[in-house]
Amino acid sequence: MTAAVAMGYLIDHHADFTVVQSPFTFNGQRTYGADSDGTTLAVAALLHRLSHEPVPRVTVPEGMDGDVVHWATGVETYDGDDDAMAWELYLGDEAIVVLARHGADVELHALEVEVEVDPDFQNAITDAWVRELKETHVSQGAYVSRSQYEEAAASRLGLEGQKTTSAVIWPPRYSSSASSMSTRTRLAAKGSVQSWTTLSAAGAPSEFSIRAPILGGITTVFMHLDEGPSGVFLTVDDEENHLEFGQSMELVVRRVYAQEGFIRYGLKARAIE
Amino acid sequence: MTVVRRGYEMLVVRRRGMVDVAVVGAGQTKYGQHSLGLKGMWAEAAQRAFSSIDGEFRPSEVDEAFIGSLAFGGSQLGNTAALLTEHSGLDSIPVRRVENACASSGFAFRDAWLAIKSGEADIVVAGGIEKMNDLTTERKRYWLGVSGDTEWERLAGLTFPGTYALMARRYFHEFDSTHDDLVHVSVKNHLHGSLNPLAHIQKEVDFEKAANGFMVADPLTLYDCCPTSDGASCVVLAADHVARRLTDTPVWVRGSGAASDHLALHDRPSITQLKATGKAAKKAYGMAGLSAHEIDLAEVHDCFTIAEVMATEDLGFAQRGEGGLFAREGRGRLNEGRTTINASGGLKAKGHPLGATGTGQVVEVFKQLRHEVDARRQVSDASVGLTHNVGGSGATCAVHIFGRDRQ
Repeated sequence: MTAAVAMGYLIDHHADFTVVQSPFTFNGQRTYGADSDGTTLAVAALLHRLSHEPVPRVTVPEGMDGDVVHWATGVETYDGDDDAMAWELYLGDEAIVVLARHGADVELHALEVEVEVDPDFQNAITDAWVRELKETHVSQGAYVSRSQYEEAAASRLGLEGQKTTSAVIWPPRYSSSASSMSTRTRLAAKGSVQSWTTLSAAGAPSEFSIRAPILGGITTVFMHLDEGPSGVFLTVDDEENHLEFGQSMELVVRRVYAQEGFIRYGLKARAIE
Repeated sequence: MTVVRRGYEMLVVRRRGMVDVAVVGAGQTKYGQHSLGLKGMWAEAAQRAFSSIDGEFRPSEVDEAFIGSLAFGGSQLGNTAALLTEHSGLDSIPVRRVENACASSGFAFRDAWLAIKSGEADIVVAGGIEKMNDLTTERKRYWLGVSGDTEWERLAGLTFPGTYALMARRYFHEFDSTHDDLVHVSVKNHLHGSLNPLAHIQKEVDFEKAANGFMVADPLTLYDCCPTSDGASCVVLAADHVARRLTDTPVWVRGSGAASDHLALHDRPSITQLKATGKAAKKAYGMAGLSAHEIDLAEVHDCFTIAEVMATEDLGFAQRGEGGLFAREGRGRLNEGRTTINASGGLKAKGHPLGATGTGQVVEVFKQLRHEVDARRQVSDASVGLTHNVGGSGATCAVHIFGRDRQ
């Protein structure tokens, strides 16, 4: 069966459920990409469903970060209580997530797209995340604390901006010289490339020091978002780094780095094909 | 004018803003990897500054001190200024650390100038210090990105090489410029640094080598990036009525300007110019009654070679979009163009001990305007100089203009 591709994942959309699968396979099984997990697939499932109909709330299974799902989608999340009004998220053994209406029958279809990952790379990146996630892997100095990260989570993950009479601002300011009156607004996660760079592993921030050598450095783009503001974002799903000025990009939720046993998620830029 | 009596000494307190301010002494350590710690480096810089004062001077005459430092690295101390001044004979006076990232001592200098302009102080010390090489590589990398909008830029994988690389690529896209122009900056500053015994890197580099350096952040190579330096610098400022007693050759502060901009690169309308530099320069030029073509030498903040290209435009030495051409034509080379850019070697070769850099630039201009540097590096007939000190990727900037003549 042919699946739709959205946000870097395979999407199988039905009336009562949505199945999101990683396009990558390893030893014949679906496996997560270098910065994906059940949480990022769940966000994709919800955002895709929200493009078709409202989802008032969703139950989140163990193994997914419900706060991240909420910040990224705006949907209320619960910890698995039986709620007839809620949609439900399921986390499969492979890199598969299902979003289903409460009580719906779900059929999993085999999807055609399979990108076989390099075993050495996959093992190295999996091991890197394990090391990064250890509680003993801590900051070496000034850093983005958990409270600082969470304070801006709606902007970091859901692209919440601020509309004033004269400008659209992202991320929002507590007080802005642009106008004393402003409303919060969710920006479309699209924009165009204005500049980019690939930092060598040696030049990357220490938060990325475990994975950067495996990834061959890390690439950051400077983008103008379609509504006006600009931002800088790591790229995803672009091993060849084929970037051009003005190229259209979308922003998708992915893992950024882990520290003190806690994964920081964020938006990464992905070329729109 | 008011005349007041304090103890047995007659002081002249002038109306606010009417006092002229001069640099009467200046010194620095060699930049590079230092075996000395903070106290030793500061004591050395202060001693060199004090001993450069021609007339009779006692450290106990100093009224106030401002010391710039990011507090980078292993020390990370609070109350640094009190610790350091204790090791330079500056006891009991008001002191404080000034922090504006790489522009810390540029702003410390401005604060010292303001203290004298206010009429509250007659002799003030401004300085800066950074110890950057007492850390593991891992911890060093952590520190090298803390002066941007950490929460947004660092989580997007950026340290400053990456931030300036974004500017460089965009600059090449918008203007008639390529990486070769940056190589010209690197070659020039290495040449100047090779003539400076206090420079971190005292080696020339040829075009081919600089063009093909290790890629740090595409398109910037190792030869586009300043080194990680330890160092300290110190200058002594004095009010006009004191300056003449301390030296026959004061270097007058003709203009001071400072400004700030959005901390994050992505919040700025343009990433191919630093708005804070333009604003600070306009203020300083206006105060001095001078324009860019009257500057004989400029110590500009070339933390990355693209920063020098943009600075030559923002400071008015080149037209907008022609900073690359300025570099290509060698107009900043020692005594070859109207204005020599970074006769010291700049941050690229002289080195960049963050907090020490701003007053270190003043040390160079002080010595150049007094014609005290080695003849091979002396800017001919230098009478007006400029310093340009930038914090982070341009969030803060201080520009000062100096002259041999008071007006």
